Amino acid sequence: MKTRTRLILKLLYILSWIIFVGLCIEAGGFITNAIFALVNPAVVKNLWHEVDLSGLLNFDTGHFFAETFIMCIVAVLRACLFYLIIKILHNKKLDMARPFNTDLQRFINRASFLSLLIGLFSWYGVHYAQWLLTQGVKMPDAEYLRLGGADVWLFMSVILFVIAQIFSKGIDIQTENELTV
Amino acid sequence: MPIIVNLDVMMARRKISLNELSERVDLTLSNLSILKTGKAKAIRFSTLEAICKALDCQPADILEYVPDQKQKK
Repeated sequence: MKTRTRLILKLLYILSWIIFVGLCIEAGGFITNAIFALVNPAVVKNLWHEVDLSGLLNFDTGHFFAETFIMCIVAVLRACLFYLIIKILHNKKLDMARPFNTDLQRFINRASFLSLLIGLFSWYGVHYAQWLLTQGVKMPDAEYLRLGGADVWLFMSVILFVIAQIFSKGIDIQTENELTV
Repeated sequence: MPIIVNLDVMMARRKISLNELSERVDLTLSNLSILKTGKAKAIRFSTLEAICKALDCQPADILEYVPDQKQKK
């Protein structure tokens, strides 16, 4: 592998770790807020203030938990996606001598599936928030709810799925090439 | 696969070892082993030519077509 490629992969590895930790904190923040809103709503104002859903909590607890649940799912799924990236970079499965391997194909398939789920939940979460807005609830923007970019996630999912299919063919060709005497 | 590789039979007839054949045809032992055990998916004409030359035989002596049981039905 070229030194430049190795350097880029190392940088991506570090970046993935930073994003993963950030996403875990975000998911943890959402979950903690939801738990405290259930147990002791008075404490919520002293907790993580990145997303202000106090208007929704005052409007209806059920809707608050539904929206928080979607946000938690999206945050956890995004964390899972970055965990997959970390895992593939950590285990050094990107072998340029044998680029088409089953580990990488499995990674692309899983990433595609996770992207699809993130896209679907984000899309639903945004529409849910919009519906709540029409009910007169003071809601933050989808960007602040960490639910923006559903279409991008869905697009990424489709692209990754196509790449996974091409990879599958690539594995067949590579295996055949290796078994040609 | 319905194509059977009879390389081991020809090697036994010519009383030649895998190491010796590997040296003569300029193929690695692992590649020859893949061919001998029938794991190979394809064989190059150049390889076939070298093997035929080394064993003094015809391609048909090395490769044989045996239809599958399913195909027979």
